[in-house]
Amino acid sequence: MKNVSITLGLALAALGVAAPFTGSPYLMGIVFQLAMWIALAQSWSMLSATTGYLSLGHAVFYGVGAYVCVLLTGLIPFEFALIAAAAAAALFAALVGMPVLRVRGPYFVILTYGLSELVRHIVMRIESALGSFGRMLFDVPPIEVLLWWMVGLATLATLGAFVIRHSRFGAGLAAIREDEVAAETVGVPVARLKLLAFIASAAIPGAVGGLALLRTSYFEPAQAFDPVISFTIVTMALVGGTETVRGPILGALGFTLLSEFLWSSLPQLYMIVLGLTLITFILFVPRGLSGLVDSIKGAR
Amino acid sequence: MDTLLSGQLLFAALVSGSLYALVALGLNLVYGTLRLLNIAHGDLVMIGAYTAFWLFTLFAIPPLVSLVIAAALCALLGWAVYAGLFRRMLAKPDLAKRVEANSLILFYGISVILQNLAALAFTSSSRGYQYLDTVLTWQGVSMTGNRLLSLGVATTVCFGTLLFLRFHLFGWGLRAVIQRREAAQVVGVNMNRIQLATICGGFAVAGIAGVLVSMTEQITPFMGFPFTIVAFVVIIIGGLGNIGAGILAGFCLGLVETYGIALTSPGYRSILIYGLFVAVLLIRPEGIFTKAVRS
Repeated sequence: MKNVSITLGLALAALGVAAPFTGSPYLMGIVFQLAMWIALAQSWSMLSATTGYLSLGHAVFYGVGAYVCVLLTGLIPFEFALIAAAAAAALFAALVGMPVLRVRGPYFVILTYGLSELVRHIVMRIESALGSFGRMLFDVPPIEVLLWWMVGLATLATLGAFVIRHSRFGAGLAAIREDEVAAETVGVPVARLKLLAFIASAAIPGAVGGLALLRTSYFEPAQAFDPVISFTIVTMALVGGTETVRGPILGALGFTLLSEFLWSSLPQLYMIVLGLTLITFILFVPRGLSGLVDSIKGAR
Repeated sequence: MDTLLSGQLLFAALVSGSLYALVALGLNLVYGTLRLLNIAHGDLVMIGAYTAFWLFTLFAIPPLVSLVIAAALCALLGWAVYAGLFRRMLAKPDLAKRVEANSLILFYGISVILQNLAALAFTSSSRGYQYLDTVLTWQGVSMTGNRLLSLGVATTVCFGTLLFLRFHLFGWGLRAVIQRREAAQVVGVNMNRIQLATICGGFAVAGIAGVLVSMTEQITPFMGFPFTIVAFVVIIIGGLGNIGAGILAGFCLGLVETYGIALTSPGYRSILIYGLFVAVLLIRPEGIFTKAVRS
């Protein structure tokens, strides 16, 4: 099974690196989307799959990254703007993490959602007070460059998720998921680990937000902080399976292909299918696509 | 300053406050008895609103009659959720555990489905109709008939529910389930009946709120989520499962919102509501959590 996962990962990475040489904007667009969702879902899993603190507000990091990037574009080279976007998202997570991570269970889920919406409305208010209704970007890097960056981020997020799961840090996070009080009693530094995981899971989405902004070359706060982003991340990760590193990749792959078929023509139907799939998997396939693959292999 | 002290503003605050109290009442009842944070609650408000809209525009049925139909429709949905999900959860403990851990995401999925089904069926454009919109003036306060009606119905349902919980035997049982569910079962309260009745009742109340909203505001398939958030703010302020305090908190939120907007500008409404929401959750996590854990 491990070999299959590694092959899948390498094949996807190779596809990402090679896509620009085909010269097909359509293919590059799809691969860009796929890499973006892998990066986001893997980052989400660093906190939410390991500790069980389900974040329904990851759009906030994506949005903060996009906002920082749009403010810096033109002032500094885009590479630095992207790094600044990741740093800003991580900083934001560090600032709000302490109080937010004291809240558990369903309250954490709605709190992250509420926080994301709060920031969205504040940014909308700031932008309209500045008299700006959407900002256009000029001189954005070509799609090939952006694609390679995105593939790099997806790889980084996947490796990061792998390293976290197989480290002492990850063992501590797993202890928090199983029983936080017991973990604290035996000396796991619960608050610090949760905060670090939160920061780790925020950084890459910040850079992803910046890249996605450069790709569309248009910033509008309502879109950059769109709660649909948060919902899609959670759906992909849960449907893919949260127990393994390959889970989020499988989920992102499935939904990116689905959205190619449905999103442009029937966006509402796409959202309905998203919701139905999510419900079905929570109720009947708790281990996700990843678990399904395992059981098929086991039955053989 | 004069505008702040005017009866006009107070009337506006009471109208929205009574509506918030009503929406939150349904959510609170369902949470109290089933320990279920129904994030799709606002979408029931949307369903109620569309029911009233279509009945009025197609068949000229007045909203006062639609109240009953919308309530029945939402109660039916409540029954479907109970029969489809909760019966099964009672039968399978491992399913129950999984659903509890992911209940919020699960209902978010249901919410997304309801919103997009409505958008597919009715398009996303906002709709409205005119009903009792002549202005009445009393003691210098101008009010439209539909707002007055909304205030009257919402207040009546809220206080009617309170009286029912206080004086009817079934209401006693319901409160017992909210306070100590194991003890309630020991003394012979029929849990299943109470839970089924509450989920139907809680959903029905949301449908009623939707009819009231549709009389005064434009409706869209995505109007529900802000109501869910408002209801969460209200019941967390009032205390989860605490029905009377929740109703009071609803009126308070109406006052805070109306006067807050009067002091700043309407553009700050969402910031105010979400800010309150985040603040309330951050300030009282332990208090909230202990209650959640006891279940």
